[in-house]
Amino acid sequence: MLLLGKIGLGFLGTALVAGAVVSSEGFIHVKVHEKQTNGTHISLVVPAMIVPVTLKFVPNHYLAEGGRNVRRYLPVIDAAISGLADCPDGPLVDVTDPDEHVSVVKSGGSIVVDVDDPDETVHVSVPLHATQSAIDEIASAGGPI
Amino acid sequence: MKTILPVLAVLCMGTVALAAPAERYLHVKVDDPVGREHVRVNIPLSLAEKVIPAINQGQLRDGKVEIGEFHANGVDLKMLFDAVQSAPDGEFVTVQEPDTDVRVAKSNGKMIVHVIDKEGKEKVDVTIPWEVAQALASSGDKQLNVEAAIQALERAGDTTLVTVTDNSQTIRVWIDSRNTSD
Repeated sequence: MLLLGKIGLGFLGTALVAGAVVSSEGFIHVKVHEKQTNGTHISLVVPAMIVPVTLKFVPNHYLAEGGRNVRRYLPVIDAAISGLADCPDGPLVDVTDPDEHVSVVKSGGSIVVDVDDPDETVHVSVPLHATQSAIDEIASAGGPI
Repeated sequence: MKTILPVLAVLCMGTVALAAPAERYLHVKVDDPVGREHVRVNIPLSLAEKVIPAINQGQLRDGKVEIGEFHANGVDLKMLFDAVQSAPDGEFVTVQEPDTDVRVAKSNGKMIVHVIDKEGKEKVDVTIPWEVAQALASSGDKQLNVEAAIQALERAGDTTLVTVTDNSQTIRVWIDSRNTSD
Protein backbone atom coordinates (compact mmCIF):
# COMPACT_ATOMS: atom_id res chain seq x y z
CA MET A 1 0.00 0.00 0.00
CA LEU A 2 2.87 2.29 0.92
CA LEU A 3 4.64 1.41 -2.33
CA LEU A 4 1.49 2.19 -4.34
CA GLY A 5 1.25 5.53 -2.57
CA LYS A 6 4.86 6.35 -3.47
CA ILE A 7 4.31 5.37 -7.10
CA GLY A 8 1.14 7.50 -7.17
CA LEU A 9 3.03 10.45 -5.69
CA GLY A 10 5.77 9.93 -8.28
CA PHE A 11 3.23 10.02 -11.13
CA LEU A 12 1.49 13.06 -9.66
CA GLY A 13 4.80 14.90 -9.23
CA THR A 14 5.89 14.03 -12.76
CA ALA A 15 2.52 15.16 -14.14
CA LEU A 16 2.74 18.43 -12.21
CA VAL A 17 6.30 19.13 -13.40
CA ALA A 18 5.38 18.18 -16.99
CA GLY A 19 2.33 20.45 -16.81
CA ALA A 20 4.43 23.31 -15.47
CA VAL A 21 7.06 22.85 -18.20
CA VAL A 22 4.48 22.57 -20.99
CA SER A 23 2.62 25.69 -19.84
CA SER A 24 5.80 27.65 -19.04
CA GLU A 25 5.68 29.50 -22.37
CA GLY A 26 1.99 30.30 -22.08
CA PHE A 27 -0.86 29.25 -24.32
CA ILE A 28 -1.89 29.95 -27.88
CA HIS A 29 -5.56 30.76 -28.01
CA VAL A 30 -7.46 30.75 -31.29
CA LYS A 31 -11.17 31.44 -31.31
CA VAL A 32 -13.25 31.70 -34.47
CA HIS A 33 -16.96 32.39 -34.40
CA GLU A 34 -18.81 32.43 -37.73
CA LYS A 35 -21.87 34.62 -37.40
CA GLN A 36 -24.16 32.94 -39.93
CA THR A 37 -26.60 30.30 -38.71
CA ASN A 38 -24.92 26.90 -38.43
CA GLY A 39 -21.58 28.74 -38.61
CA THR A 40 -18.48 27.16 -37.17
CA HIS A 41 -17.35 27.94 -33.66
CA ILE A 42 -13.81 26.95 -32.82
CA SER A 43 -11.99 27.62 -29.59
CA LEU A 44 -8.53 26.17 -29.37
CA VAL A 45 -6.15 26.54 -26.45
CA VAL A 46 -2.76 24.95 -27.05
CA PRO A 47 0.36 25.14 -24.88
CA ALA A 48 2.69 27.41 -26.84
CA MET A 49 5.66 25.16 -26.15
CA ILE A 50 4.13 22.48 -28.37
CA VAL A 51 4.69 24.54 -31.53
CA PRO A 52 8.51 24.71 -31.56
CA VAL A 53 8.71 21.17 -30.19
CA THR A 54 6.38 19.91 -32.96
CA LEU A 55 8.40 21.79 -35.58
CA LYS A 56 11.47 19.80 -34.51
CA PHE A 57 9.73 16.65 -35.78
CA VAL A 58 8.67 18.13 -39.13
CA PRO A 59 10.99 16.88 -41.90
CA ASN A 60 13.34 19.66 -42.99
CA HIS A 61 12.31 19.60 -46.64
CA TYR A 62 8.81 20.78 -45.69
CA LEU A 63 10.21 23.83 -43.92
CA ALA A 64 13.31 24.52 -46.01
CA GLU A 65 11.79 27.07 -48.37
CA GLY A 66 9.88 28.82 -45.58
CA GLY A 67 13.07 28.79 -43.55
CA ARG A 68 15.06 30.45 -46.33
CA ASN A 69 12.36 33.12 -46.73
CA VAL A 70 12.17 33.78 -42.98
CA ARG A 71 15.93 34.04 -42.61
CA ARG A 72 16.06 37.16 -44.77
CA TYR A 73 13.88 38.92 -42.22
CA LEU A 74 15.23 37.23 -39.12
CA PRO A 75 17.14 40.28 -37.77
CA VAL A 76 13.98 42.40 -38.05
CA ILE A 77 11.76 39.68 -36.56
CA ASP A 78 14.21 39.14 -33.68
CA ALA A 79 14.39 42.87 -32.99
CA ALA A 80 10.62 43.27 -33.19
CA ILE A 81 9.87 40.35 -30.87
CA SER A 82 12.52 41.40 -28.39
CA GLY A 83 11.29 45.02 -28.52
CA LEU A 84 7.68 43.96 -28.08
CA ALA A 85 8.60 41.70 -25.18
CA ASP A 86 10.32 44.59 -23.41
CA CYS A 87 7.67 47.25 -23.99
CA PRO A 88 4.68 47.69 -21.68
CA ASP A 89 1.28 46.16 -22.41
CA GLY A 90 -1.10 48.25 -24.44
CA PRO A 91 -2.98 48.71 -27.71
CA LEU A 92 -0.70 48.83 -30.75
CA VAL A 93 -3.09 49.07 -33.68
CA ASP A 94 -6.81 49.71 -33.88
CA VAL A 95 -8.62 50.02 -37.18
CA THR A 96 -12.34 50.67 -37.42
CA ASP A 97 -14.35 51.03 -40.58
CA PRO A 98 -18.08 50.65 -41.17
CA ASP A 99 -17.77 46.88 -41.64
CA GLU A 100 -14.79 45.80 -39.65
CA HIS A 101 -12.88 46.30 -36.46
CA VAL A 102 -9.31 45.05 -36.11
CA SER A 103 -7.18 45.44 -33.04
CA VAL A 104 -3.67 44.34 -32.15
CA VAL A 105 -2.77 44.53 -28.47
CA LYS A 106 0.22 43.49 -26.45
CA SER A 107 -1.02 41.82 -23.31
CA GLY A 108 0.99 39.92 -20.73
CA GLY A 109 3.77 38.72 -23.00
CA SER A 110 1.39 37.85 -25.83
CA ILE A 111 0.23 39.53 -28.98
CA VAL A 112 -3.54 39.47 -29.19
CA VAL A 113 -5.29 40.06 -32.52
CA ASP A 114 -9.05 40.52 -32.65
CA VAL A 115 -11.02 40.86 -35.85
CA ASP A 116 -14.74 41.52 -35.94
CA ASP A 117 -16.38 41.67 -39.35
CA PRO A 118 -19.91 40.94 -40.58
CA ASP A 119 -19.07 37.27 -41.20
CA GLU A 120 -17.03 36.27 -38.20
CA THR A 121 -15.12 37.22 -35.11
CA VAL A 122 -11.59 35.96 -34.74
CA HIS A 123 -9.43 36.11 -31.65
CA VAL A 124 -5.80 34.98 -31.74
CA SER A 125 -3.44 35.23 -28.81
CA VAL A 126 0.17 34.13 -29.30
CA PRO A 127 2.91 34.31 -26.66
CA LEU A 128 5.91 36.23 -28.00
CA HIS A 129 8.46 33.81 -26.58
CA ALA A 130 6.86 30.89 -28.36
CA THR A 131 6.71 32.88 -31.59
CA GLN A 132 10.44 33.52 -31.35
CA SER A 133 11.16 29.83 -30.70
CA ALA A 134 8.93 28.73 -33.61
CA ILE A 135 10.47 31.22 -36.03
CA ASP A 136 13.99 30.18 -34.98
CA GLU A 137 13.00 26.58 -35.57
CA ILE A 138 11.62 27.33 -39.06
CA ALA A 139 14.66 29.46 -39.93
CA SER A 140 17.07 26.71 -38.89
CA ALA A 141 15.30 24.32 -41.30
CA GLY A 142 16.77 26.33 -44.19
CA GLY A 143 20.30 25.32 -43.16
CA PRO A 144 22.62 26.50 -40.38
CA ILE A 145 21.99 30.12 -39.30
CA MET B 1 10.36 58.74 14.42
CA LYS B 2 12.37 61.88 13.72
CA THR B 3 15.29 59.90 12.36
CA ILE B 4 13.24 57.48 10.31
CA LEU B 5 11.41 60.18 8.33
CA PRO B 6 14.52 61.60 6.59
CA VAL B 7 15.64 58.03 5.82
CA LEU B 8 12.24 57.28 4.28
CA ALA B 9 12.36 60.54 2.32
CA VAL B 10 15.81 59.67 0.94
CA LEU B 11 14.61 56.16 0.07
CA CYS B 12 11.58 57.57 -1.75
CA MET B 13 13.68 60.04 -3.71
CA GLY B 14 16.18 57.30 -4.56
CA THR B 15 13.37 55.07 -5.81
CA VAL B 16 12.00 57.85 -7.98
CA ALA B 17 15.47 58.62 -9.32
CA LEU B 18 16.22 54.97 -10.07
CA ALA B 19 12.79 54.18 -11.55
CA ALA B 20 12.88 53.37 -15.23
CA PRO B 21 11.82 56.30 -17.40
CA ALA B 22 8.26 56.06 -18.69
CA GLU B 23 7.89 54.51 -22.11
CA ARG B 24 7.39 57.04 -24.87
CA TYR B 25 4.96 56.39 -27.69
CA LEU B 26 4.66 57.58 -31.25
CA HIS B 27 0.97 57.82 -32.05
CA VAL B 28 -0.67 57.98 -35.44
CA LYS B 29 -4.35 58.81 -35.62
CA VAL B 30 -6.28 58.89 -38.88
CA ASP B 31 -9.93 59.90 -38.91
CA ASP B 32 -12.04 59.81 -42.01
CA PRO B 33 -15.53 60.92 -40.97
CA VAL B 34 -16.80 60.56 -44.54
CA GLY B 35 -15.77 56.95 -44.94
CA ARG B 36 -16.24 56.34 -41.21
CA GLU B 37 -12.74 54.95 -40.97
CA HIS B 38 -10.56 55.38 -37.93
CA VAL B 39 -7.01 54.16 -37.50
CA ARG B 40 -4.99 54.33 -34.30
CA VAL B 41 -1.37 53.20 -34.11
CA ASN B 42 0.66 53.40 -30.91
CA ILE B 43 4.32 52.50 -31.36
CA PRO B 44 6.54 52.33 -28.29
CA LEU B 45 9.66 54.32 -29.22
CA SER B 46 11.84 51.64 -27.58
CA LEU B 47 10.38 49.18 -30.10
CA ALA B 48 11.10 51.50 -33.02
CA GLU B 49 14.61 52.06 -31.68
CA LYS B 50 15.27 48.31 -31.79
CA VAL B 51 13.56 47.53 -35.09
CA ILE B 52 14.76 50.43 -37.29
CA PRO B 53 18.50 49.54 -37.13
CA ALA B 54 17.63 45.91 -37.96
CA ILE B 55 16.00 46.87 -41.27
CA ASN B 56 18.33 46.75 -44.23
CA GLN B 57 15.97 47.15 -47.12
CA GLY B 58 15.94 49.65 -49.95
CA GLN B 59 17.19 53.04 -48.88
CA LEU B 60 16.92 52.28 -45.15
CA ARG B 61 20.14 50.73 -43.89
CA ASP B 62 21.55 50.59 -40.35
CA GLY B 63 18.98 53.06 -39.10
CA LYS B 64 19.76 55.60 -41.81
CA VAL B 65 17.86 56.56 -44.94
CA GLU B 66 19.88 57.31 -48.05
CA ILE B 67 18.76 60.52 -49.73
CA GLY B 68 21.05 60.24 -52.73
CA GLU B 69 18.89 62.47 -54.90
CA PHE B 70 19.19 65.34 -52.47
CA HIS B 71 21.88 67.77 -53.58
CA ALA B 72 23.18 70.02 -50.85
CA ASN B 73 25.43 71.79 -53.40
CA GLY B 74 28.34 71.90 -51.01
CA VAL B 75 26.28 73.26 -48.14
CA ASP B 76 27.36 71.79 -44.82
CA LEU B 77 23.99 70.80 -43.37
CA LYS B 78 25.38 70.43 -39.87
CA MET B 79 26.79 73.97 -39.94
CA LEU B 80 23.52 75.22 -41.38
CA PHE B 81 21.57 73.58 -38.54
CA ASP B 82 24.01 75.01 -35.97
CA ALA B 83 23.58 78.47 -37.46
CA VAL B 84 19.79 78.25 -37.46
CA GLN B 85 19.79 76.86 -33.93
CA SER B 86 21.68 79.86 -32.60
CA ALA B 87 19.51 82.29 -34.58
CA PRO B 88 16.56 83.92 -32.82
CA ASP B 89 13.03 82.63 -33.35
CA GLY B 90 11.42 83.80 -36.53
CA GLU B 91 10.21 82.99 -39.98
CA PHE B 92 12.94 81.87 -42.35
CA VAL B 93 11.16 80.96 -45.52
CA THR B 94 7.84 82.14 -46.88
CA VAL B 95 6.66 81.06 -50.30
CA GLN B 96 3.31 82.26 -51.56
CA GLU B 97 2.05 80.94 -54.85
CA PRO B 98 -1.44 80.99 -56.31
CA ASP B 99 -2.08 77.41 -55.27
CA THR B 100 0.35 76.87 -52.38
CA ASP B 101 1.63 78.66 -49.31
CA VAL B 102 4.75 77.39 -47.55
CA ARG B 103 6.16 78.79 -44.35
CA VAL B 104 9.26 77.57 -42.49
CA ALA B 105 9.91 79.03 -39.06
CA LYS B 106 11.74 78.45 -35.83
CA SER B 107 9.78 78.85 -32.64
CA ASN B 108 10.46 77.76 -29.04
CA GLY B 109 13.22 75.34 -30.01
CA LYS B 110 11.16 73.74 -32.74
CA MET B 111 11.30 73.83 -36.49
CA ILE B 112 7.86 74.47 -37.92
CA VAL B 113 6.73 73.91 -41.48
CA HIS B 114 3.26 74.95 -42.65
CA VAL B 115 2.04 74.02 -46.08
CA ILE B 116 -1.33 75.00 -47.43
CA ASP B 117 -2.42 73.48 -50.71
CA LYS B 118 -5.25 75.73 -51.76
CA GLU B 119 -6.36 73.57 -54.71
CA GLY B 120 -6.46 70.29 -52.80
CA LYS B 121 -7.67 72.20 -49.72
CA GLU B 122 -5.01 70.39 -47.75
CA LYS B 123 -3.20 71.80 -44.77
CA VAL B 124 0.00 70.25 -43.44
CA ASP B 125 1.73 71.31 -40.23
CA VAL B 126 5.04 69.72 -39.30
CA THR B 127 6.69 70.53 -35.98
CA ILE B 128 10.08 69.01 -35.32
CA PRO B 129 11.90 69.55 -32.02
CA TRP B 130 15.27 71.07 -32.86
CA GLU B 131 17.24 68.20 -31.31
CA VAL B 132 15.34 65.76 -33.52
CA ALA B 133 16.05 67.77 -36.67
CA GLN B 134 19.73 67.90 -35.74
CA ALA B 135 19.78 64.17 -35.02
CA LEU B 136 18.18 63.49 -38.41
CA ALA B 137 20.90 65.46 -40.15
CA SER B 138 23.73 64.08 -38.01
CA SER B 139 24.99 61.60 -40.63
CA GLY B 140 25.97 64.08 -43.28
CA ASP B 141 24.15 65.40 -46.30
CA LYS B 142 23.41 62.07 -47.98
CA GLN B 143 21.66 60.30 -45.13
CA LEU B 144 18.88 60.90 -42.63
CA ASN B 145 19.75 59.29 -39.31
CA VAL B 146 16.37 57.88 -38.31
CA GLU B 147 17.76 55.91 -35.37
CA ALA B 148 19.31 59.03 -33.84
CA ALA B 149 16.10 60.95 -34.46
CA ILE B 150 14.09 58.32 -32.55
CA GLN B 151 16.55 58.53 -29.67
CA ALA B 152 16.14 62.31 -29.70
CA LEU B 153 12.34 61.92 -29.78
CA GLU B 154 12.55 59.80 -26.61
CA ARG B 155 14.18 62.73 -24.85
CA ALA B 156 11.83 65.34 -26.33
CA GLY B 157 8.73 66.47 -24.50
CA ASP B 158 5.18 65.66 -25.51
CA THR B 159 4.56 67.25 -28.86
CA THR B 160 2.49 67.03 -32.02
CA LEU B 161 4.78 66.28 -34.92
CA VAL B 162 2.49 66.26 -37.93
CA THR B 163 -1.09 67.22 -38.64
CA VAL B 164 -2.64 66.87 -42.05
CA THR B 165 -6.14 68.07 -42.74
CA ASP B 166 -8.00 67.84 -46.00
CA ASN B 167 -11.61 67.67 -47.12
CA SER B 168 -12.15 64.10 -46.05
CA GLN B 169 -9.68 63.16 -43.36
CA THR B 170 -7.39 64.32 -40.60
CA ILE B 171 -4.08 62.75 -39.70
CA ARG B 172 -2.21 63.47 -36.50
CA VAL B 173 1.20 62.13 -35.48
CA TRP B 174 2.46 62.92 -31.98
CA ILE B 175 4.55 61.64 -29.11
CA ASP B 176 3.72 61.32 -25.45
CA SER B 177 3.96 58.85 -22.58
CA ARG B 178 0.43 57.44 -22.86
CA ASN B 179 -0.11 54.05 -24.45
CA THR B 180 -3.44 54.99 -26.00
CA SER B 181 -4.41 57.52 -28.65
CA ASP B 182 -7.62 58.82 -27.11
